[in-house]
Amino acid sequence: MKIFIIIPCYNESQNLVKVISQAKEFGEVVVVDDGSSDNSFQLAKNQGVKVIKHFLNRGQGAALETGDCYALAKGADIVVHFDADGQHVASEIPDLVEPILTGEADIVLGSRFLENKSKTPVFKKWLILKPAVFFQNLILGVKLTDAHNGFRALSRKALSEIKIKQDGMAHASEIVEQIKLKDLKYKEVPVTISYHEFGQGFISGLKILKDLLFGKINK
Amino acid sequence: MAKSTSKMDYLPLQIIVSLFVILVVFRLTKKYKDSALKISEFIGWLVIWIIILVVFWLPQTTSYLAFLLGIGRGVDLAVYMAILICFYLIFRLYLKSDKQQKEITKLVRHLALDKEEEFKN
Repeated sequence: MKIFIIIPCYNESQNLVKVISQAKEFGEVVVVDDGSSDNSFQLAKNQGVKVIKHFLNRGQGAALETGDCYALAKGADIVVHFDADGQHVASEIPDLVEPILTGEADIVLGSRFLENKSKTPVFKKWLILKPAVFFQNLILGVKLTDAHNGFRALSRKALSEIKIKQDGMAHASEIVEQIKLKDLKYKEVPVTISYHEFGQGFISGLKILKDLLFGKINK
Repeated sequence: MAKSTSKMDYLPLQIIVSLFVILVVFRLTKKYKDSALKISEFIGWLVIWIIILVVFWLPQTTSYLAFLLGIGRGVDLAVYMAILICFYLIFRLYLKSDKQQKEITKLVRHLALDKEEEFKN
């Protein structure tokens, strides 16, 4: 069983080594360096994992799609999307992979609200994430408890069906839309998200909405 | 003083605009000849600049059109149309730039994956 862990990275020299060393226990790590200006590329290389480099910064969605293309060509059975900033917990990768192995799901999405493992800031939870979840479920006709989590596992079937066209952060909504359109079996599992000072705020949310809207017009 | 806002007062502006339009049309024609513009784009731009010329030389035409469309004054119609056209062009430019961004991403991805010796698209 070939499990590829795709880590898109942009100027993540601070956390990258730790993230890679923890993740590589659970599968073949592929780092997609999205045009970093720091030494992320070299740091990842030194870890002895596959590193693909975008010579220009194109966004997280674009980096994930590059990783997905590589994994697909390399015969991956399962692909895990994992953040480079250390907000995901590598030991939870088997929890995401499990439903795919049992045939229960084609794609497994991490949720920070299923068991409240994560200490989500109140403002972020109720003013950004919960409304985003509400509109996501309403518009896309899915039943999910979280939105824009980023920690997910895809089976080979899901990988071949889902093509990420949104270069920026809107890819997370695009994936959910593709799940519905391609009629893929999905499941959510509880995951822990460690919060940093950065992350997607209200303005990023508006940018995601704009990207999704123009993505529809400009196919 | 107000009464003197006649055709004579307009004349310098009309001449400046006409010269400007002639210059633009000349450039448009050159670009079309150099195949930098498609015929539809050339005609589209030509029509827009001819309309501008007509509006400056025969301002009463806007009043007539404004009356047909139920707008009070010709100058209002010209402003409305200008705003509409500007918004439309901004929208078109946005879509075009978005498309180019997507193409750049494809190119960057292709180059990144192509660098992997064993991975050739």
